[in-house]
Amino acid sequence: MLEASSALVSVKPYVSSLLTIVEAPDFTLTQYAGAEKDLRKALGKFPARIGIVQDNLLRVSPIQIWSLNEAVEAPNCFVTPLSSSRTRIEISAVPARDVLAKCAAIDFHKSEFKPNTFAQTGIHHVPVLIHCVADEIFHVYVLRTFALSIWDHLTDAALEYK
Amino acid sequence: MTAFRRTTKAAHIDRTKPITFTFDGKTLSGFAGDTLASALLANGKTLLGRSFKYHRPRGLIAAGLEEPNALFTTGTDGRTEPNTTATATELVSGITAKSQNAWPSLAFDVMAVNQFLSPIFSAGFYYKTFMGPLKKSWMMYEPIIRKAAGLGVAVPDVDTARYEHRYTFCDVLVIGSGPAGLAAAVTAARSNLRVTLAEQDFELGGSLLSSGNEVLEQWRKTQIAELETHKEARVLKRTTAQGIYDGNLVVLNCIPQNHPAKMILEQCRAKTIIIATGAIERPLVFENNDRPGVMLASAVCTYLNRHSVAPKKRAVIVTNNDSAYTTAFELAEADVAVTVAEQRATLSGDLLAKAAQLGIAIFPSSGIANVIGEKQIRAVRLSGRHAATIECDVLAMSGGWSPVLHLTSHGGIKPKYDEKIAAFVPGGFAPSHYGAGGVNGTFGVLAAIREGETAAHAAFENLVFRKNLEAIELPALRGDRAYAIQPDWTVPEGKHAFVDFQNDVTTKDIKQAHQEGYLSVEHLKRYTTLGMGTDQGKTSNINAIAMMADLRGLPMSAAGTTTFRPPYAPLTIGAIAGRNVGAHFKPKRLSPLHDWHIAHGATFIEAGLWMRAWYYDWAGNSPETAYIKEMELVRGNVGISDVSSLGKIDVQGPDAAEFLNRVYVNGFAKLPVGRARYGVMLNDDGIVLDDGTTSRISHTQFYMTTTTAQAGEVMSWLEYLLQMHWTDLNVHVTSLTDEWGGMAVSGPNARRALQLAFPDVDVTTEALPYMGVMEIELEGVPVRILRLSFSGELAYEVHCSANYTTALWEHILVSADSLGIKPYGLEALASLRIEKGHVAGADLDHRNTLDDLGLGKMAGKEKDYVGKALRFREDCQAPVRWSLVGIECMEDGKKLRGGAILFAASDEIKGHGRGYITSVTWSTELNKFIALALYNGGLKHEGEDIICAFPLKNENVKARIVSPHFIDKAGERLHA
Amino acid sequence: MRLQCPHCGERDVAEFRYGGDATKTRPQHGTGDLQAWHDYHFVFDNPKGPHIEYWQHTLGCRQWLKLNRNTATNVIEGRA
Repeated sequence: MLEASSALVSVKPYVSSLLTIVEAPDFTLTQYAGAEKDLRKALGKFPARIGIVQDNLLRVSPIQIWSLNEAVEAPNCFVTPLSSSRTRIEISAVPARDVLAKCAAIDFHKSEFKPNTFAQTGIHHVPVLIHCVADEIFHVYVLRTFALSIWDHLTDAALEYK
Repeated sequence: MTAFRRTTKAAHIDRTKPITFTFDGKTLSGFAGDTLASALLANGKTLLGRSFKYHRPRGLIAAGLEEPNALFTTGTDGRTEPNTTATATELVSGITAKSQNAWPSLAFDVMAVNQFLSPIFSAGFYYKTFMGPLKKSWMMYEPIIRKAAGLGVAVPDVDTARYEHRYTFCDVLVIGSGPAGLAAAVTAARSNLRVTLAEQDFELGGSLLSSGNEVLEQWRKTQIAELETHKEARVLKRTTAQGIYDGNLVVLNCIPQNHPAKMILEQCRAKTIIIATGAIERPLVFENNDRPGVMLASAVCTYLNRHSVAPKKRAVIVTNNDSAYTTAFELAEADVAVTVAEQRATLSGDLLAKAAQLGIAIFPSSGIANVIGEKQIRAVRLSGRHAATIECDVLAMSGGWSPVLHLTSHGGIKPKYDEKIAAFVPGGFAPSHYGAGGVNGTFGVLAAIREGETAAHAAFENLVFRKNLEAIELPALRGDRAYAIQPDWTVPEGKHAFVDFQNDVTTKDIKQAHQEGYLSVEHLKRYTTLGMGTDQGKTSNINAIAMMADLRGLPMSAAGTTTFRPPYAPLTIGAIAGRNVGAHFKPKRLSPLHDWHIAHGATFIEAGLWMRAWYYDWAGNSPETAYIKEMELVRGNVGISDVSSLGKIDVQGPDAAEFLNRVYVNGFAKLPVGRARYGVMLNDDGIVLDDGTTSRISHTQFYMTTTTAQAGEVMSWLEYLLQMHWTDLNVHVTSLTDEWGGMAVSGPNARRALQLAFPDVDVTTEALPYMGVMEIELEGVPVRILRLSFSGELAYEVHCSANYTTALWEHILVSADSLGIKPYGLEALASLRIEKGHVAGADLDHRNTLDDLGLGKMAGKEKDYVGKALRFREDCQAPVRWSLVGIECMEDGKKLRGGAILFAASDEIKGHGRGYITSVTWSTELNKFIALALYNGGLKHEGEDIICAFPLKNENVKARIVSPHFIDKAGERLHA
Repeated sequence: MRLQCPHCGERDVAEFRYGGDATKTRPQHGTGDLQAWHDYHFVFDNPKGPHIEYWQHTLGCRQWLKLNRNTATNVIEGRA
């Protein structure tokens, strides 16, 4: 078996008493695109709107769903494996929302950005998807080729919590 | 003999916390709660600077951000900050402040001689003396003038301070924490709205801090305490609202405490904005009104009540309105002898009574004829009926109040003039913006509190939110005094009556501008420099507008104001850059092979956002020579190169072939599965957009590649066509640039290398011909082998998912090690393609047609494609266009250079030439420098001699126009 | 400036790519009418006030949108 390598092999986890930023590797990401009925049939669910997460399914556009589940057959849909295309960075603990607020023009207030929702936005001009996994845990999906750069940007934003 | 002293009265300083600082090298001390200005004043420092043009001695005028004179250079080395406003600087331990614009010292300034040259430094002096027909002299004199006139000097050192940005959101943003702002913030916070209160000062309270009134102080403390109990209320001190932009974006710059950043620029998106920025007092204009010790009446009151700094013995007050009497009474109660020169003829009875009770002498219908004392006021001479000379330590002046309406006007709403208070007030408010208190021209404390509350209620309406709210408890005052003012804006006589202190603009300059026809306020500003500089005329604009209006016989409302633009206060450039400096300047894009390249001696080069391996240690340490060895490896044996940065797009769907057939100029409808084709795309205008190779993976799936540079453009373009126009096509596109990595294996031994790497796969020409595509698996990992060549040699591209690209690369290197395979970098890659005559990003200048690049024959004659119609427009078909040619250097030992301007051998070397070099390299095959270029008329000039001019290096090199295909014109090598 | 993405909600303008005037109909693919393409591609009004424009939410859902932007106020007055 060939050995997989991460875009973040050269970094150390950022761990302080206040905040943790680590890579969260080993996920499967598959994009399914197509008509609602075909997607619903293949995936069992079709999240009602963009920005919510249901059973590991993220609706990223009107006709596209990202699935974090194992790939399935999806007749009449366009399936694109994307597991290598994104690097996942987990940022957790109380200041996580404040750190993210230094990076993206999204309202990360608890009342607005709740668990099981996500936002596609930009950090340092790079497209990212930020998933609120739990109140104080966020997954940032960043394009793999920009991963180190965005890692540096995020951990630098967290300097005050070091 | 100092003119000021500390009193013992309780104020907003903490006498238990002394703080030391230095001013012009001398160590001084103040207290926590002081500003740099109040601490200097308490130390008896009244001479604080020299003026901009005339180097006149200057002292404090104001106590707030509007201060025009007290500007210092603070900090050292890279942390040096010129033009720090002393009145807006919190006194903290270790401040080193230096006065500006004085040499050798403040007290003895050589340039003060300029005072006597003032006739020549009058309005429009730069324009008249040095510009126009004599503009060459400007070049000569500018450095001297810039040295003689000016403010602080920026240092060349890198600013090592850290600056941050943050994005915030709230329901209600309240700007200003005076009585109106506090009331608005508390009211909004009581309904559990997300409230942000921004205050530029380090203490909340605004004008309340200067009042000296116990009742108001209690009220202030109560409101602050309540705000702390509301979880959703954020209170930002030391935070200046710099501007309001579209979409209710307010830019706040905050100086955080106990934080690694010196400053945080906050982009606050507020659903509603309550502007409670108060008002600024105006100076009066009279002879020598700039002498140290002449101050705004409200500033004198602030220093007294907030900082416990009082004039030593005697004060004169000159005013045209009632507000200055607060200062008069407070001074009298602090045992200062007070005389009032009242410009008005009559005064209300209660003021007269209270003045009499406190022993204050009032001279009605009086003004100031002159100020005596140069570096510190000693006395004033009154004008009018009571032309007496009165000794004093301070002259407190009040010309009335100007609402701080900047933020209301940033969106383009012009202020309007209010006769009653002789001031400009907001001309209106944008939807979801509200004003409260002084900014509206409402000057009473109780009235301001009520307006703050009302504004918060109005904001709720906007938020579709209603709740029974407890009213704000009002402080137990007996009611607000009405504000009465009667300004006299006739232009006073005299040579040294200053309107704009910071820019040294006098009444004389305004008269002159008027005489010379610079009548509008915008012209007046540019001609006299009035209202420019770090204070942007906060204290001077209204007086100047009024005088110009008077000279023109216009009402104020017709004169108008200059345009208010952000930032409201000076802002360090570093704050705007934020963390985007140094290594964080822009995001970097790294190949999945990046770590391998680092570990194996690659030197990197930036290509757009990408960091690409430029050349490798094994070939040498110099970019000038290493790539030549790498080229030789590819031409003679086999090399491997990282091509992961290519744009890659998954094109899927039943109509995918039709779609590609439309976007590429050449045919894709009939491309067989397992084959690749080189294609070129045009924009609608017929100009080349991009090129690349696209492979057919299945009947309904294609794997498109684009150039590195245009990947994003192409992706957006395809999405645009599919989503907005060709909605009948069932096609879906997804970027795979990050999902897939790739490498080129090139050279005469490339096939042998693949055979070693994939022994179970048939890669013979029969199984994998030129432009063939093969999908295989390597230990379970899907791999695509595409037989295509950028270098002109026998070559393959091998792609797989990015997680495994490094493993695949290492596998090929290890497997083919016996051949001597080695990596080659971007420089060699680019050089190889130049020899082959392949165009790339550098040669495409977004003005090229297919024919310009010699690709016209590719386009389908019968089929339709994007850009076909406009490709044939007259301009694109002009007989003479800048078209692709090859160039060979004809002079041994000389270089061709990218960007060199091309001339025919007989041309004079002058002007823009006939073309330019777009790519250049040393050719290992031809043993000379070769280049690709765009040349007027293109290959019609093949064989002609030209000159490549590179004026930056003073080089003119002889060269010849040749075919851009320098090697293997028949393509024998790549078909091998 | 904020734009209302019908899919993602109100977002900062930095997340979008401007795509130009959307008031005109693209000539049918394959139309060789030079004048029609010329008028479509090169000739634009520059109105002050409401204007239908293409915007792509590039950092979001990547959807192309036709938005009605008031060019004088930058207020998005709806989707076209």
